[in-house]
Amino acid sequence: MTTYLVRRVLQTFVVILGVTLLSFFALFLAGDPTYLYVSERATTEEVAATRAKLGFDRPIHEQYGRYLVGLVTFDLGNSLRSRTPAFELVLERMPATLELTLFAILFATLLAIPIGILSATRRGTPLDGGIMLFAMFGQSMPSFWLGIMLILFVGLGLRWLPISGHVPVLEPLLSGDLPKALANLPDALRHLILPGVTLGVFSLARNARLVRSSMLEVLSQDYVTTAKAKGLSRFTVVMRHAFRNSLIPFVTIIGLEFGFLLSGVVVTETVFSWPGVGRLVFNAINQRDIPVVQAAVVMFSLLFVLLNLAVDVIYTQLDPRIRLS
Amino acid sequence: MRKSIRAGWISAALLLILLVSSACTAVPAAAPAASEAAAEESSAEPARLVVAQSVDVQGLEPSNVNSRAESNIFQHMYATLFEITASGAIVPYLAESYTVSESGMEMTFKLREGLTCHDGEPLTAEDVAYTFQRAADDANGFTGNTAGFVLDAIQYQDARVESDLEVTIVMGRYSSPALGLISEAYIHCKDSYSAMSLEDAAANPIGSGPYRFVEWVKDDYVLLEKTPDFTLREVAYDEIQWKVIPEASTRTAELIAGNVDIITNVPPDQHEAINNSGNAGVTGVAGTRRMYVGFNQRAMFDDSEGGQAIKNTAVRVALQYAVDVPTICKTLLAFECERASSMVNPPNNNTNLVAYPYDPAKAEELLDAAGYPRKEDGTRFDITFMAGRGRYLNDVAVVQALAQYLTDVGLNVDLQVMDWGSEFVPALRAHEVGPLYFVGTGGGTWSAVYDMSDLSAPTAATNYTEWNNAEWFELWDQLSDARDPESEKVITDKMLEVMYNDPPWLFLYFQPDFYGIAGDVNWQPRRDEIVDLTTASPQ
Amino acid sequence: MTHSIQQPPAVARPDAARQPILRKQPSPWLSAWRSLLRARWPLLAVLSLAALVVVALLSPQLAPADPNRQYLIQRLQPPLSVNEASGGVYWLGSDGLGRDVLSRLIYGSRVSLAVGVAAVLIGGLFGVFLGVTAGYAGGRLDDLIMRLADVQLAFPFILLAIMVLVVLGAGLLNLVIVLAIGQWVTYARIARGETISQKRKDYIESARAIGVGSSRIVGRAILPNILAPLIVIASFNVAGVILSEASLSFLGLGVPPEVPTWGGMLAESRDQLLGGYWWLAVFPGVAIMLTVLSLNILGDWLRDFLDPRLRNR
Repeated sequence: MTTYLVRRVLQTFVVILGVTLLSFFALFLAGDPTYLYVSERATTEEVAATRAKLGFDRPIHEQYGRYLVGLVTFDLGNSLRSRTPAFELVLERMPATLELTLFAILFATLLAIPIGILSATRRGTPLDGGIMLFAMFGQSMPSFWLGIMLILFVGLGLRWLPISGHVPVLEPLLSGDLPKALANLPDALRHLILPGVTLGVFSLARNARLVRSSMLEVLSQDYVTTAKAKGLSRFTVVMRHAFRNSLIPFVTIIGLEFGFLLSGVVVTETVFSWPGVGRLVFNAINQRDIPVVQAAVVMFSLLFVLLNLAVDVIYTQLDPRIRLS
Repeated sequence: MRKSIRAGWISAALLLILLVSSACTAVPAAAPAASEAAAEESSAEPARLVVAQSVDVQGLEPSNVNSRAESNIFQHMYATLFEITASGAIVPYLAESYTVSESGMEMTFKLREGLTCHDGEPLTAEDVAYTFQRAADDANGFTGNTAGFVLDAIQYQDARVESDLEVTIVMGRYSSPALGLISEAYIHCKDSYSAMSLEDAAANPIGSGPYRFVEWVKDDYVLLEKTPDFTLREVAYDEIQWKVIPEASTRTAELIAGNVDIITNVPPDQHEAINNSGNAGVTGVAGTRRMYVGFNQRAMFDDSEGGQAIKNTAVRVALQYAVDVPTICKTLLAFECERASSMVNPPNNNTNLVAYPYDPAKAEELLDAAGYPRKEDGTRFDITFMAGRGRYLNDVAVVQALAQYLTDVGLNVDLQVMDWGSEFVPALRAHEVGPLYFVGTGGGTWSAVYDMSDLSAPTAATNYTEWNNAEWFELWDQLSDARDPESEKVITDKMLEVMYNDPPWLFLYFQPDFYGIAGDVNWQPRRDEIVDLTTASPQ
Repeated sequence: MTHSIQQPPAVARPDAARQPILRKQPSPWLSAWRSLLRARWPLLAVLSLAALVVVALLSPQLAPADPNRQYLIQRLQPPLSVNEASGGVYWLGSDGLGRDVLSRLIYGSRVSLAVGVAAVLIGGLFGVFLGVTAGYAGGRLDDLIMRLADVQLAFPFILLAIMVLVVLGAGLLNLVIVLAIGQWVTYARIARGETISQKRKDYIESARAIGVGSSRIVGRAILPNILAPLIVIASFNVAGVILSEASLSFLGLGVPPEVPTWGGMLAESRDQLLGGYWWLAVFPGVAIMLTVLSLNILGDWLRDFLDPRLRNR
């Protein structure tokens, strides 16, 4: 077990290093951003001076070296645009993005399980057909379109929910202000629903279908048939045997799901003007604000990799067969 | 299975109907809740005005203001020596008067008495000098409007304290727009700013204007409150909140829902929805931004057909007739516009020049005569047309329409729409967009020379076409000898005529600006893109 | 939004499709066809996809107008109105530049399908190649390729896409490349898993022992076995790619504005949704939905069919 863990952690390091390399060279190829950070009327000498100050005149390996040192010391330098430390900028926005992704992941998993089970146990009924078609629709709408529709229809038409904006919960919680977090919670949830649904609906649809099919598979296994034959109630059979076993493939993809949702936040945050990392990094890429892009990419990847590591470790505990292979 | 799918189809059809109907529903009128909330606000809570713009500030450093969205906020926090009014007059603000030296290279400003910065520090000549010195200090590395544009444009040399209330700005040469340019520098106090690191200063603005800083939640909003003892301005609202809402439809939805009072950059196709909502309306103003298609005459395009062709003045004149600017304005910008005849905003333009009319037959005739007849395939020459995306009002539609007009007179146009910030701007700065490119350049209502300073030299950074008309630049040099408005006007009119006949640009229009304004707010937007909320009041 | 990095929706159970390859069998494709004819919805899905392909191929013949011809004064005309300038009919209305929505939709099918299929094909071929190589070669090369896959997965796809498109510039080809990059990992993992499990089989080992070449073993024994799960995933992924293209268009990173694609049309219409110009969003939206729906129904059916445990229930 320890060897396995050590190996996985080492791999994680390699992966993170790979991510930094990839993002660094992609940005390097994107060209020298100096022009974006001098005035329109700057002379060639002024541009050169700014370039030297920003360090873009150095050879690439030196730039990468400086960047790695920056990573280890947790100091990637200041954002070229706002002149505040890049990591700080990303960390400030992280709570909002985490709230959104957590909501979406809960929405997409907690709802998917009962829906999938319902669909599987009622296989072939109109209910099953309806659920599966809705699921397919959920998987065939571009998220920005769904988001704008929800804004127009639910936010503006029905006025049930706020149209845009963010009320912080995680951020006061992390800074120790529990009363404020609690006070904000109801309003925060109302603000979370539309963007959360927009972000999570694709995953919900996919997960519901996934739960349904793995459920069907388990229901057809011998031990379930045996359990049924032993006269256990349908509910017991479904919950005790089928449900637990059908969750296993589902758990493994939670980690990947998280990565998928992190990708989706760029669009969702833009549509709902959610002050998160997605918008920050999208703007930073467009402005070639390299330190911020690097910081965000590393943070996203780190989150993703650590989460998957955790899932793997938990999973090995649950299912000893994995350890052997 | 079959049955289930049928039921599924029914539910799916219902969903579809739901979506379709949501798309066609014209937006319903505001719920009463919104107006109730507004009523409550005015009685108990401080009166707050909420404005939504599409981009956030990048930092709160007054010497590093990079965008219009930023300067909108800054000009409420910081006062300036003089200020430019909505009608283009330059009037005293922190300074009560100024004098210009014999040489025209030194301007001395006399400050009002009893001014303070927001932390209570008295605002004196020393602070004004400090503002300029700090912006000019290379060690600070500022690139914003004050440091990167104003100081360059006036050829700033030094700022000198004459007395407690008198400060002199020393410039490299006389230029008539200097007063207006200096009026763009946000004055801040020495003691507070010299005590802060650059990082701190970018997070804790200590201003000198009618509103002071309360809070900045990044990518969400900036909140300002009324400065209690500021007497130079009467303001009606206790607080102004600048929200960031990047998506135009979301901004409009928030306005109609009554959560936001003023929105900027309303897309033309949403005007009707806002006007029909019953609780907000759209106000359009003829803006000052000069929109044009540049003819880049650099040698780098010489090996292309189009690059060669547009070096020919006759071709550049011919193409002026090819484009129906009023129709573009009416259809794509929801605005009746007059075509520009030059690069200068009215009323400072040469009124004798008549804008080129839309006359495609004449354009074709002139192109034939210029030596570019239609070839066998029906086209005259291939040409690349570059544009950025999402910077100007309906820009992607406008450039496509322009490309169509040019195609109609026989050009084979290769339209390249690029990302604004990462692709187009760097290429534009390097003078590498072209041979045709679409750009708008900010202008003013107060000075012809200010508008013309884009083309101050053949190699000027903002002369993206590298146009090199000898007569124009000779006249440009004469400008610094003209010290009174009348003689200056004679020269600028002459220059604009030169430009008209040897156009470096395909003249288009002055970009209109559209603001969505809630019904309970009384506010008239300005022409020069400056959102001045000190003139807003509750209805 | 990236819909293209998907974990195979429980489809990718390689063992499900594994069949002894040396035994002669009735062609699986023939029995697939027979089974398809018996199932009504998958058949409809296949027919609508076939119709779509026909529309895409015959766009110039089917489109009533030039998809790029603008009539500014005829902009935003509702469906069934007459274009007074050309005398034609805007069957599905006109867009913000007075272009014919129906014609753009028809030509758009071309681009949207081409982008979807090309991205999946390129990503798939690349992924299978790397996966088979990794599985077959093992050792360091395997490690390298799999770490590369991990890096790719850990790098949020949308950021990678934005970066690549910013570096290469937006455009049709670059879009296909980006979307293909988002695909290969899924294919590589399946191909690798299958290759490793096949490699251990006795008959392969004996084939290697008697000197049958690697390419022959891969071609004869390994590829046929992974084809089925890959096709299933591909059918889902084409749908995902069409959606990704729409999202990238929304972010301004799609194809050039004059090139009609469904996603691009949808993204273009977003400022007009509030104005009540429903036809701009509904028609491309429905086109995307129907296509994605058909591909998903087809994918589901293929999975059910190719997975014997579910098929026989």
